[in-house]
Amino acid sequence: MKKSFLSLTALLAALALASPILASAADVTLLNVSYDPTRELYQDYNAAFAKYWKAKTGDNVTVKASHGGSGKQARAIIDGLDADVATLALAYDVDQLSEKGKLIPKDWQKRLPNNSSPYTSTIVFLVRKGNPKHIKDWDDVIKPGVSVITPNPKTSGGARWNYLAAYAYALKKYGNDDAKAREFVGKLYKNVPVLDSGARGSTTTFVERGIGDVLLAWENEAFLAQKELGPDKVDIVVPSLSILAEPPVTVVDKVVDKRKTRAVAEAYVQYLYSEEGQEIAAKNYYRPTLASVAQKYEKNFPKINLITIDDVFGGWQKAQKTHFADGGVFDQIYQK
Amino acid sequence: MQFRIKGITAALVASGVLLGSNLAHASDSDEIEKLRALVQELDQKIRVLDRKGEIAEEDAAAKKKETPVVKASKDGFGFESADGQNSIKFRAVLQTDYRYYDQGANDIRERTDGRAGNIGTDGFHNADDTYILRRARPIIEGTLFGKYDYRFTPDFGSGTALVQDAYVDGKFAPGFKVRVGKFKPDLGLERLQSAADTKFVERSYVTNDLLPNRDIGIALHGDILDDKLNYSIGYYNGVADGSSSSGGVGFLGDKDVGGRIFATPFKGDDSALAGLGFGIAATYGDAQGERNLNFTDTTTADNTRQGLPAAYLTDGQQVFFRYGTGTVADGSRFRIAPQANYYYGPFGLIAEYAQVEQEVSLAGGGSPAGGGAATNSTIFTGTNKKLTHDAWEVAASYLLTGEDASFKGVKPKRDFDLNKGGWGAWELVARYSEINLDSDTFKNRNGQYAVASSGTTANSAYADLSQSAKAAQTWAAGVNWYLNQNVKFQLNYEETSFDGGAITGASHTSPGGAVINVKADGSNIKDREDERAIFARVQLTY
Repeated sequence: MKKSFLSLTALLAALALASPILASAADVTLLNVSYDPTRELYQDYNAAFAKYWKAKTGDNVTVKASHGGSGKQARAIIDGLDADVATLALAYDVDQLSEKGKLIPKDWQKRLPNNSSPYTSTIVFLVRKGNPKHIKDWDDVIKPGVSVITPNPKTSGGARWNYLAAYAYALKKYGNDDAKAREFVGKLYKNVPVLDSGARGSTTTFVERGIGDVLLAWENEAFLAQKELGPDKVDIVVPSLSILAEPPVTVVDKVVDKRKTRAVAEAYVQYLYSEEGQEIAAKNYYRPTLASVAQKYEKNFPKINLITIDDVFGGWQKAQKTHFADGGVFDQIYQK
Repeated sequence: MQFRIKGITAALVASGVLLGSNLAHASDSDEIEKLRALVQELDQKIRVLDRKGEIAEEDAAAKKKETPVVKASKDGFGFESADGQNSIKFRAVLQTDYRYYDQGANDIRERTDGRAGNIGTDGFHNADDTYILRRARPIIEGTLFGKYDYRFTPDFGSGTALVQDAYVDGKFAPGFKVRVGKFKPDLGLERLQSAADTKFVERSYVTNDLLPNRDIGIALHGDILDDKLNYSIGYYNGVADGSSSSGGVGFLGDKDVGGRIFATPFKGDDSALAGLGFGIAATYGDAQGERNLNFTDTTTADNTRQGLPAAYLTDGQQVFFRYGTGTVADGSRFRIAPQANYYYGPFGLIAEYAQVEQEVSLAGGGSPAGGGAATNSTIFTGTNKKLTHDAWEVAASYLLTGEDASFKGVKPKRDFDLNKGGWGAWELVARYSEINLDSDTFKNRNGQYAVASSGTTANSAYADLSQSAKAAQTWAAGVNWYLNQNVKFQLNYEETSFDGGAITGASHTSPGGAVINVKADGSNIKDREDERAIFARVQLTY
């Protein structure tokens, strides 16, 4: 009897050891719904994550990506696009997934470090080579005759960062005089000949169509454009003040539970904080949040006086309601 | 916008010309700079206009993806969401018939001895030639969330208004679908063929008399084995032979369980057997009917409450059989229906058999005809019997104009059009069918022929052979003219002979005459006269 028991135990142990070998690798597909300029970042990151996940679990993961204006992408998810992961341009758009879509918990931002923003960015100016219009700071972009390219804040997260950076500059310049700040930003939008729906569209307008004197751009987008066009085509101008943009990431709980992809989706967003994830972000011109990587790439990112949306505008909810809701400040100044 | 672009372009060209000429002559470099700036400004304006055009096109393309699609075609009218996940479709079937009966065709429906009218020598009314709005069905159907099909079909034809179909069908996988509501259970092959696609004006005995029409319940169904085997199993209220659920509550005993498998093993093959399909269906249930009702006080027997069919009809839609008003369903009911069809080029064939075993008893009590105090419905002891009826049919069709025959409708190669010379599709059809009722139906508990029970004596028969035939055989032939896929003209001739169903000697029910009942040995029974009828139909469907 005792011998039989030992034999059985040995057999079970052997089976347990063999099970990882016997088990076949699963094929998993994730959909990452992201904003406009992250195409290159996630192309690199998805490949790295697939490799990491395969090594860790043996499973094959294929990450599909969808890109567009951040606001539009949030609406698409709310309307039923099965996004396992949302990596949008700003927290307000992710908030909508909770408030309107009931797809994620209200405290989603506390689930990952740095308010769920694994990387940051800011807003800079991309100008024609040699800066023929002598654009140095925000005051220069509101001058008559300067053609400014920026997307529509109603649909683009990047555009809202652009708008708020200009607004913050004006508030500082005029001692928090809101009326003057509105006038300042109004002048800026008078110089905008075309409103694209997303940041990538504005880059196309400026770079490929040759329209405008200055592109208000994500820092990463500006670097990318300079890299692709060559340093003899465009220059990057860093304004005296800009805004700290914190693009957040989250798993979409309702979707991952439905698709049974929670484990891999959570690993996907967590791995963005890893050294490799941060390296990929930095190489794609996003400012890493991991100290070691940030230090390594410090020289790549100019030092800018950055304000935060919480400090100047009271957070995204308030900023959205005041400036970008229907009938808000943007509508008022853009109609003038 | 186009005008503005042209204007700016012209200005640019003009500026270029000016620039060219000025380059040669201008000594003032400021002027050259101004012209250069002007050109650049105009160039920017053109670029902006072009870009706005691009963005407008992109927006339009994006909006198009979100814009619901309106559909209007010969297949129907409807709306569909841009992603195709949600839709509603409006369809219709309209059938107007003319029925002509040769002398001899007759009907025992709703006739009583004392009723005045043109009663023939057999004691029956002659069938009336008539127009009839056979079916008038607006159909609303569609899909929600890409997987929930729905259908709602009211019917205003045949002098009534009722709901034929009202169901939701969840398509979770090709092999796993769940249908709930009122619908045609997957049982009879001919019944499952759409009323708009049947080859004859009226369906056969198998479908009209023995197998259920619509019922309320839930069915699991799907297509498996590479779409070559269709299965269905359902749980229904249960309805009498040839009947439909009214849509109300079910009350006649247990529910019916029904199922069907149908194979098309050569489907998709490049062989002569590709159009072969065969299968078998069955239902089982338990029904306890009641004679009349304590709470409705109807003046005629309520056949749905009896748990038995109101009547069995001929191909000519005349009643040739009816249970006595005191006969009720009382026990198990089992139906089985093997079936097959075959289509090869323009040739089509459908064959089907059905048998029903039904336990019946005689009942008394209940609400008396004409009102008055009611008593409980009671079963007469020793009257329970299991009756076995069966029916079968074979029908063939051939499209003279060469279209491919199918279970579904015919699409003419050339629509009927006098100007273009098209004559639509022409089809010849022929069918033989018969129904045979259990001889015990017409005998009492002592094995003797007797009058049908009216609920007053236990020694009655379940139906009266002097009024109801125990068998009917029909052959029918016809021609179908498909003017196009939406309009069809049908012309059928049918001839039916009967076994029994009339009495020799004086009229059984002549007004004022003496009533002659069936003899115990049935020796005074004769066959009813043959029924000969011509049916014509004009059908519009989309």
